[in-house]
Amino acid sequence: MTGADLFLDQITALLPALRAFGRSLCGDPARADDLAQDTVLKAWANREQFQAGSNLKAWLFTILRNCYYSELRHRKFEVEDPDGVNAARLAIAPDHDAKLQLRDLNRALQQLPPDQREALVLVAATGLSYEEAADVCQVAVGTIKSRIARARDRLVELLGADAALVGEPSLPESSIDLPG
Amino acid sequence: MGRSVVHAVMIMSDKIKPEPVNPPAGEVGVQVPEWLGNRLRRLFDDVMDEPVPDEFQSLLKQLEEKERGA
Repeated sequence: MTGADLFLDQITALLPALRAFGRSLCGDPARADDLAQDTVLKAWANREQFQAGSNLKAWLFTILRNCYYSELRHRKFEVEDPDGVNAARLAIAPDHDAKLQLRDLNRALQQLPPDQREALVLVAATGLSYEEAADVCQVAVGTIKSRIARARDRLVELLGADAALVGEPSLPESSIDLPG
Repeated sequence: MGRSVVHAVMIMSDKIKPEPVNPPAGEVGVQVPEWLGNRLRRLFDDVMDEPVPDEFQSLLKQLEEKERGA
C-alpha cells in the first residue's frame, strides 16, 4: 500500500466526522456535504503539507472551516437561513423526546455566532482538546474558552432554564428491576 | 404490567444512545453542563452514524485512480 492510499484510507475513516462538523457549522446537510467534498479535494491537493503523525482530523477540520468561511464571505449579502428552514429540515419527523431535544438544540446552535458555535462543537462534540480547537480556529486557547462560555450561556438561555430538567431520560430504579 | 414497563425501558434504551464509553467531556465538562455536552455529542454522533453518501466514494476512487495513473 502506498502512502497516498494510506492517506486516502485515513480520510475515508474521517468522512463521518467531516460531514458532522460541516453540518454543525452550516446547519444544512446538502451544503455540509459540499463542504466536506471540497475539503477532501483540498486535503488531497495539499497532502504534501500535512505532517505525518500530526492530527489529521484537526487538519481536515481546519480545511473545512476555511472552506466554510470563504463561502460565507462570498455570500455575505445573502441572509443565512432567515426562517430557520434548513435547521428545521434537519430533523425529519421527530417521533420522540430525544429527537425533539436534538432538533431544538440544532436550531439554537444555528442562532449562535459562527465563532462561538464552532468553538463549542469542536471541543464539546468532536472531542478535540482546547489546544487543538485553538489551532483549528487560529486563535488563543483563552479565546476558545470564552467563546464556549458565551455559547453555553446563550444555549441555556435559548433552550430554557428547564432544559436540564427534562434533559436526560432517567427512570426510577424500581422500574428497571421489575421481574420480566 | 411489570413486563410492559420493562419493555418500555428497553425501547427507550434502543432509541436513546448510551453515554459514550470515553466521553470527551474531560476539560470541557467544567465549562459545559453535562446535559448540554451529552446532547451536543448525540447531535454530532447522529450524523456520524449516517451512511456516507456514495458520491464521496466515487470522489475518493477518482483521486485514487488519478494517483495510480500519474
